[in-house]
Amino acid sequence: MMIRVKMIANYRDALPAGHKHGVIELDVPDGATVFDAVSRFDIPLNDESVIVLNGLTVDLNTPLQEGDTVTAFSAIAGG
Amino acid sequence: MYGWHLKILRVNLTTRKVTTEDVDPKIARDYLGGRGWAIHYMYKEMDPAVDPLSPENMLIFATGPLTATPAPTGNRYMVVTKSPLTGALAHSNSGGEFPTWMKRTGFDLFIFEGKASEPVYVLVNEDQIEVRSAAHVWGKDTHETTDILKGETSAEARVACIGPAGENLALMAAIMNDKHRAAARSGVGAVMGSKNLKAVVAMGNKNPPLHDPEAMRSISVETSKNVGADVKKGSNMRIYGTSYVPQVTNTLGILPTRNFLQGTFEHVHNVDGDALKNQYLIRHTPCYRCPLSCGRLTEVPDGPYKGKGEGPEYETISSLGTGCGVSNLAALVKANYLCNEYGMDTITTGMTIAVAMEMYEKGYISEDVVGMPLKFGDHDAMIEMIKLMAYNKGFGKDLAQGSYRLAEKYGHPELAVTTRKQEFPGYDPRGSQGMGLLYATSNKGASHMEGDVAYEEVFGVPVKENPLTTEGKPELVKHFEDSFALMDSSGVCVFVGIRYMFNKDRMILPKILSEMMNLATGAGYTSEEAMQAADRVYTLERMFLIKAGSGPEWDVLPYRMLNEPLPDGPAKGRVVELDKMLPEFYEKRGWDEKGYPTQKKLMELGLPLN
Ligand code: SF4
Repeated sequence: MMIRVKMIANYRDALPAGHKHGVIELDVPDGATVFDAVSRFDIPLNDESVIVLNGLTVDLNTPLQEGDTVTAFSAIAGG
Repeated sequence: MYGWHLKILRVNLTTRKVTTEDVDPKIARDYLGGRGWAIHYMYKEMDPAVDPLSPENMLIFATGPLTATPAPTGNRYMVVTKSPLTGALAHSNSGGEFPTWMKRTGFDLFIFEGKASEPVYVLVNEDQIEVRSAAHVWGKDTHETTDILKGETSAEARVACIGPAGENLALMAAIMNDKHRAAARSGVGAVMGSKNLKAVVAMGNKNPPLHDPEAMRSISVETSKNVGADVKKGSNMRIYGTSYVPQVTNTLGILPTRNFLQGTFEHVHNVDGDALKNQYLIRHTPCYRCPLSCGRLTEVPDGPYKGKGEGPEYETISSLGTGCGVSNLAALVKANYLCNEYGMDTITTGMTIAVAMEMYEKGYISEDVVGMPLKFGDHDAMIEMIKLMAYNKGFGKDLAQGSYRLAEKYGHPELAVTTRKQEFPGYDPRGSQGMGLLYATSNKGASHMEGDVAYEEVFGVPVKENPLTTEGKPELVKHFEDSFALMDSSGVCVFVGIRYMFNKDRMILPKILSEMMNLATGAGYTSEEAMQAADRVYTLERMFLIKAGSGPEWDVLPYRMLNEPLPDGPAKGRVVELDKMLPEFYEKRGWDEKGYPTQKKLMELGLPLN
């Protein structure tokens, strides 16, 4: 199924070339989880990263649905 | 004593009498410094009910025990006064260089009282303290003023001043230092203007003596390295400053858009960190002794918005940009430059224009009233409004009063998104519940800098909290309010200071920060004592608010946040569930069910009982 992965700011460097505004389409097998999607990229998979599913805070083991967007960015005090 | 000079400079602008006084070491320890000392003196000496723009209001510049020490980001000061925008407290923080130079005069605090009969500036060069005429710089913007005053005093001096907005008593007037840094919020610049005080010029060589200079140096090198590691990894703050944040808040659906009618902005890519970096960034600019260097010098090289300066920060993008529906980055950058030059808080400026835009689109104000069409997204009209506000002309007279008074005047108070009459910053609390509680209870009205629980709800620092739930938020908000009161009192910047607040297990307790304060002052705080002192500061501020007429009856949220669900994004359908959080928050703070600090709490903190 097709999902989207979005990387914000410096995490965009983890994406292959050709992404649009940090977003790429990804084909993942049925039953794949949020973790499966983000672990394909070279970003820290611990509390140094914030990873959300469709903008929502979820467990990384949450199964993905067709059309979902997984977004990741670096956890850092800002704003 | 160390760290603190334990010296206050008091300038009565009415009589032009200058006095200096010592600070009682027990008061110094109990109230930490900076923001804490300032509320101690204000509560003791001033009737909280005074008119904020009258000579009776005190205007305090306050450095902390870590200002002008080797502590990384020990470069901050607070401007504390009664706010003319909110009627509550103003305590606005700024960095750059001025605060360090101010501390090197040998004083921790400057207290300005009364009102000069004509425009003046105050020069403080250690023991040389002069109240001088400012007739020649009155009317000039903050950049010109800074250059002229440095020219006639010393290139070694640093300047904090107001621009036309402060002179004209616009309620969103800021105090700018080092040209680009702002003690921005709550109209502190209008208080300065009301005193006919155009500028403060500081210089000197009196670095505060340190209790343990050796250990202070090594802890500073160590913490600097830790921040440095993030820089190497390519930290967002290092690359983008706060301008990377629109993509984050847009993803979470809490990016203020068109006066909070929406939580996502369809043109966000036009105004985010990458757009700014690719088009206008020249280089990074640090505050004094900051390893992170999150400021950015930018330039729009040509065209109608030509200009050069610093920023914009996220809060400017979310107010003058997305808040107004503006997607023209060059115009937004120009608007930011203008606010800095006129001396204006970009949040209140932008969100007030946003309210006016909504009123115009709904037909509540006409083109005749405004003097031109004022639709969302009209960047030229937005820039024109900023000019009218700064110079108090035409429709700018209404705008210069802020959005609360503007919306009320034209019969639509439900459109103003404020608490205690101050405009919301860039996190829509319908999708960030803890921020809703913070805005409702903050001692300075809506502000993220009063206890930014977005660090957890949005940025995952030190841990990620679900922004949509209310559980646990009362305790979290109290904890962050106290943590920010501590950082604001100590003299460090919160962006880096927050790293001094948690341990390896990501438990927030100011282990490193209290250690730094001890090495600077010798006060021997435990982490718990430092947090209790912060609680003391916060609670005394609340007592001030109650006496100022801005007490619990103002712990409310505006109509839109409670009654109009977000129409889009991940937080679609939500409002702020304030009533689920407020009673527990009062309890966690040791306040009674009506929101008044209990006698027991006051006694525990050693505060006056009335
Ligand atoms: S983190 Fe940014 S705002 Fe804070 S002291 Fe450093 S440069 Fe200044």
